[in-house]
Amino acid sequence: MQPDDATLVRQAAGGDQTAFRLLVDRHSRSVFRLAYRITGQREDAEDVVQETFVRAFRQLDRFESRSNFGTWLYRIGFNCAIDATRSRSHRETAEEPSLLDQRARAGMATGDDLIYAGQISAQVQQALGALSDQERAAFVMRHYHECSIDEIGQALDLKTSAAKHAVFRAVRKMRVALRPLVAPRTEGT
Amino acid sequence: MTPFDWHPTDDDLTLHAYRDDAPDEQAAIDRHLRECEACAATWREIQALQQLASAADVPEPAEDFEDAMWARIAPQLHAWPPARRRVWTSRQFVAVGAWAATIAGIVVAGHLWLRHTPAATPAKPTAAATVPSDVRERVLLTALDSHFSQTEMLLVELMNAPDDAKGSLAFERETADDLVQSGRLYRVTAAQTGDRRLTDVLDDVQTVLTEVARAPETPDKDDLAAIRSRIERNDLLFKVRAVTNDIRVRQDKPGASNEGAL
Repeated sequence: MQPDDATLVRQAAGGDQTAFRLLVDRHSRSVFRLAYRITGQREDAEDVVQETFVRAFRQLDRFESRSNFGTWLYRIGFNCAIDATRSRSHRETAEEPSLLDQRARAGMATGDDLIYAGQISAQVQQALGALSDQERAAFVMRHYHECSIDEIGQALDLKTSAAKHAVFRAVRKMRVALRPLVAPRTEGT
Repeated sequence: MTPFDWHPTDDDLTLHAYRDDAPDEQAAIDRHLRECEACAATWREIQALQQLASAADVPEPAEDFEDAMWARIAPQLHAWPPARRRVWTSRQFVAVGAWAATIAGIVVAGHLWLRHTPAATPAKPTAAATVPSDVRERVLLTALDSHFSQTEMLLVELMNAPDDAKGSLAFERETADDLVQSGRLYRVTAAQTGDRRLTDVLDDVQTVLTEVARAPETPDKDDLAAIRSRIERNDLLFKVRAVTNDIRVRQDKPGASNEGAL
């Protein structure tokens, strides 16, 4: 049976490199997805994963064992991802062509599937990019990572009501941004 | 019309959509949504947003992602225990010397190789299966509209550029290159759906876009003249505007057409 996260953190803090490796194995994909949603770039997201675990390692002694390691890691990952987006002046938010190429080579989708998937990703990523950092993180955690409002509050250092309102604001803005895709165009829009 | 003395707010509906409201509130809202068309319309919009957001893929990392990540992380954790040591950032790490540079070079080379190698398990295009067909149709039309609008702007810029311009064509080349990439997908789909007119316009446009993408960064008068001549000869601006107009007419139709995606 695999040890739980809290045990692995204790072992890693005590110098057990294998324990930290297990934490990387267990959580790096979800940190990658969080980072990709925030940065919109695969390369940036990979850098964020690396930086997140390095920072987490440096702060292992600050992790409180009663907390959820995944949520704690999201908090670090979120900050790393925001740093990455701020350091990149010309952010490209569209879905990477390589992803489309990858699918095309794999023969897994028809032409309009590819267009559709690429457009959806690009439009959603663009809408996410227009949110504030806090709103974006709150939406990504609630929608994609199914974090509870309390967990979002912990990760973003917000009270529960503030976390809830961050999700509300994000949803309102996303609705406005994506409305052209879900409702018929009207004259003058 | 049923009179209502209470309506859930948009925020209540957001909580409801994520099942973050209390069970008794959930039941009350479900009842209300069955009777109140105005709230039901807002509810449908929130659900559509959820579906769209869920349909936006994140590229699935390669199978050996964890190994690759560990190869990047581990060298920065070389001294233990963690609380008493300094951890290098990636940039500092590269700068510390030949040994570190060698390791970093190997890591970076592996990383680049991975990025250019298709993942063993590419992300499945789940979008098509999870979003209603009218939304799908609208997304595709929006994509085409955007593609042809950008194409039109580029063609107009090229037609109006001064003959003796000494300026760079870098932006136009880059835009043309992007449009060539996306145009290939639209071309494949148009051919699959048997839309001959769209296929022909895309073919004509691709030829010019490719020419622009491959043009010198600072073109001379003859280069520009050749591009313009091709645009005029094929009546490209007219064709692009006409097909854009068709797409917008279809976008304005409530609900999706049943004529296929394109």
